[in-house]
Amino acid sequence: MSHAADASHAHAPTSTGIDHKKLIMWLFLASDCMFFGTLISTHLLYRKLYPTGFTDAEGHQRFVQNLFNIELTSFSTFILLMSSFLMALAVSAMHKGQVKSFRRNVLGVIFFGLIFLGCQVFEFTHFYHQGLTIQNSVLGSTFYVLTGTHGTHVAIGVLWLILLYFYSFTGKLTGHMAGLDVEIAGLYWHFVDIVWIVIFTAVYLVEYLGPSGFWGNGLPLAK
Amino acid sequence: MSDAVAHDPDFLAEEVRRYHHFITLALWLAAITGAEIVLIFVPVPMPIILTLLSLMSAVKFFAVILWFMHLIYDHKLLFWIFMCGMVLAFATFAAVLNLFSADRIDTKWFS
Amino acid sequence: MSHDSHHAPVADKMELAPERSDLGLFRPDRTRGLFDWLTTVDHKKLGIMYGAFAMFFFLVGGVEALAIRTQLARPDNDFITARMYNQLFTMHGTTMIFLGVMPLSAAFFNFLVPLQIGARDVAFPRLNAFSLWTFVAGALVLNGSWLFEFAHLAGWLDGFAWHQALTYTDFAPANGWFSYAPLSGTFGQANAALQAPRFTGVGTDFWIIGIQVLGVASLAASFNFICTIVNMRAKGMTMMRLPVFTWMTLVTSILIILAFPAITVALIELMFDRQFGANFFNPSAGGQPVLWQHLFWIFGHPEVYILVLPAMGIVSEILPTFTGKSLFGYPIIVFSGAVIGFLGFAVWSHHMFTTGLGPVPTAAFSLLTMAIAVPTGVKIFNWLGTIWGGRIRFTPPMVLALGFIWMFMCGGFSGVMHSSAPADAQQQDTYFIVAHFHYVLLGGVLLGLMAGLYFWFPKIFGRMPNAGVAYLASGMVILGFNLAFGPMHYLGLSGMARRTHTYHAGNGWETWNLVSTIGAFILGIGVFIAFVNLVYTAAKGQKCASDPWDGRTLEWSLPSPVPEYNFARSPVIAARDVYFEHKHGVHKLAYENDGGEAGVHMPSQSWFPLLAGFGFLIIGFGMPLMSMGVPHAGWVVIAGVGVMFLGIWLWALEGPGGYMLKTPANPLGTTAAADAATSAH
Ligand code: HEM
Ligand SMILES: [Cu+2]
Repeated sequence: MSHAADASHAHAPTSTGIDHKKLIMWLFLASDCMFFGTLISTHLLYRKLYPTGFTDAEGHQRFVQNLFNIELTSFSTFILLMSSFLMALAVSAMHKGQVKSFRRNVLGVIFFGLIFLGCQVFEFTHFYHQGLTIQNSVLGSTFYVLTGTHGTHVAIGVLWLILLYFYSFTGKLTGHMAGLDVEIAGLYWHFVDIVWIVIFTAVYLVEYLGPSGFWGNGLPLAK
Repeated sequence: MSDAVAHDPDFLAEEVRRYHHFITLALWLAAITGAEIVLIFVPVPMPIILTLLSLMSAVKFFAVILWFMHLIYDHKLLFWIFMCGMVLAFATFAAVLNLFSADRIDTKWFS
Repeated sequence: MSHDSHHAPVADKMELAPERSDLGLFRPDRTRGLFDWLTTVDHKKLGIMYGAFAMFFFLVGGVEALAIRTQLARPDNDFITARMYNQLFTMHGTTMIFLGVMPLSAAFFNFLVPLQIGARDVAFPRLNAFSLWTFVAGALVLNGSWLFEFAHLAGWLDGFAWHQALTYTDFAPANGWFSYAPLSGTFGQANAALQAPRFTGVGTDFWIIGIQVLGVASLAASFNFICTIVNMRAKGMTMMRLPVFTWMTLVTSILIILAFPAITVALIELMFDRQFGANFFNPSAGGQPVLWQHLFWIFGHPEVYILVLPAMGIVSEILPTFTGKSLFGYPIIVFSGAVIGFLGFAVWSHHMFTTGLGPVPTAAFSLLTMAIAVPTGVKIFNWLGTIWGGRIRFTPPMVLALGFIWMFMCGGFSGVMHSSAPADAQQQDTYFIVAHFHYVLLGGVLLGLMAGLYFWFPKIFGRMPNAGVAYLASGMVILGFNLAFGPMHYLGLSGMARRTHTYHAGNGWETWNLVSTIGAFILGIGVFIAFVNLVYTAAKGQKCASDPWDGRTLEWSLPSPVPEYNFARSPVIAARDVYFEHKHGVHKLAYENDGGEAGVHMPSQSWFPLLAGFGFLIIGFGMPLMSMGVPHAGWVVIAGVGVMFLGIWLWALEGPGGYMLKTPANPLGTTAAADAATSAH
């Protein structure tokens, strides 16, 4: 911690040695666990109560497995995981004071984040054309609001990183505090990633278990 | 002042070590995700798959918070703060899910 | 860190040279009067504003309550319409909880926590200002609904096309403070405009967005306070030396950050139901209204402890002061506070026994609810142990604190009664419940907070409230309170349902309702007298010494009113109640260190927290306007989001700034003795 103490004379050392910003970010993330916990469990709850999917505009009963596109979701999951990796590298670069390397990595994160959002837009339009809307079923409500809220988090993260990227050109993003500022943004980004890790398993993968899905009552998987 | 950080040799060595951890971890994360996707199509009993899926998801989750999010390098307090939120969320909503049951729903009123 | 911001230390901020922030704008550091209050980041000023707003809303909520009680004074009364009655009890509960008790607790957190831990300010001073202004925005949104309601009743809105198109024209919330779905939600199928038919008018939308904004304020404040308490303790102030009030602030803040997200999400879901035709709680589409109850009470039960723990902290400071003894069983008080906090997350379904949870959950929640009474009882015994054998001084704060113990205990007893599910089946939704929670909330929280006001007012303003008036007010509050709510136990058990506009004669309820109304007026007048007394004191009261009660914690070591820099030198803490030890202990322990004549670093003031809070105000009015069908209201919401982000963005870019104040000569003149003691130690 010695380098932290002399790095910023205006900041008295804290009682625990943890920077205020890092502490408050972790408190926020602990709180956000409850936030996403509520959203995810709302979705799972209704999946449990109504294992069949929804009825589309033509009155056909539709099943979730046939709606989901596992290739697309796996791809965007992979993209998000890799963005997390780049984010870790960006933080590391900033700690070493290598602004150029930081910029390269953070651009990668932004790019991957945008791809993820693009996949989500594609997925939403696709599902919409398949007949799933917020209004026509609880499934639509819970699915769109859950993944949409997660997407909003990703979008805010992308915005944050874009601002940091441009800020790095003002020359003010230097020293210990800069490493910390980037690390905080990184914590947020990784958190969004782990929420997706949970959503990927609990919302997507389990729908494919066995011939009728984990929640039961679905049709055989054949498309 | 910042130079004191950037040119501290111990600090740099540590960052390099972390760099390698991050790369290894990224490979593992990709591999586990691949395995998950394969696993859901393997014809073994559902409880086994479910256990494996939960396990793999948990491994990925903890890998990210411990290494990418530096919890393993940082003050322990941060780890416990996060666990507090996570465990509470998990326990509360496990209870909520169990408080609802499908056989008490009368589906003839809608759909 | 911009180095240019560190000018030479000045004696007063008005002597500062004008300074530009990183944005090139002038920082509002050199302001006095209104602009100073609007841009301040000083925890003490923010605390005073929280307190002023809270006391104002206590009076608003009080007037609403008296209107309700007047309506219920006689059977078959028609003093107010049924619709107005529903709006009044809804706004009464919401106002008291979110705009009265929580901000008054926040006022104490703000004012006291940095002083009690020996810190300059909170960890994030601008975030703290943001919390205050966001709270004000939420309060204005909630009460803005009344303006629409009155405009509607006066017929001013009749000319508008959107007004003629409304199915329901209730503009003030009327769903009760918990807004149960499906009443607060939708039914049937959404139309082309993505809206499903609703059971209620726009009032519910005001409520939804108002509570959402207030939640943001509470969350931001709580992150800040946890950070402050964990990270900004003076040297030697270990966790087990923290004053109990600070401990309870910590536990309360933890409860807030873990409980509020559940209601945040529930509100989002309800908002989607109402504004975009989603089906979260829409029974016609398979939505489960009972899910709203779960989510609400997952937040709601911790919320009741969020309300009471600060008051418990206050009482734990007052009792030792006026008995001349240290708090009996400090570690146990702290521990039971924490246990209450965490058990509080495991009992929410005791509000839902009558929904039919099934035998196992009912038994489990019943048992857990009974269990929570144990740590609560432990605290009571600790307080009794503190009083036991002490030299009691019956000052006004002490009288109120003793009232707290007694009344809160009564509330706890009725609480344990309905922790038994079969008994609760008789009590649910009757006046018995109203009696229970008013005993814990008024007899407990209000008395505790009033005790705190009388206790710390001399510290905040350097002036002593008139004791005679204070005794009168305390007496009236305690007497009026018991007259108003005691009979409700009986009314409830004999079948009078809560939230009913009126009742017929001949049920045997007439006398007790009349008594209750008379008591309510005595109580209301008592609270009013107390507030007048306090406001008068703040402006013109008798000046008093800096430590009039012979206090124990660090804030009493400072001059009154407390100077803007708090501690001229950082204190060093060698024991619990270090200031008391310093005055009376065998070793005369030091509490102030001699180091550092470099000056005190002060954070800069800022307009941007206010701007971000203002964004929430616009969002808060935009959403209900959207729901009313006012043309282009969606743009209002978008503009509000824009203003909010702009505020936060500018705030991030302006840089923290800061300036130095000259280290003042030791105002109390005790340093010399303290220094000697330090070196001896
Ligand atoms: C010994 C501790 C306590 C126990 C065992 C307890 C138990 C209960 C139970 C079982 C109910 C539900 C009754 C029903 O609706 O049928 C209830 C309601 C309530 N309690 Fe408590 N309680 C305790 C302390 C508190 C405290 C400290 C507060 C607040 C400071 C509080 C505030 C409330 C409120 C506001 C309600 C009613 C909510 C409503 O329906 O609007 N209680 N309590
Ligand atoms: Cu409760």
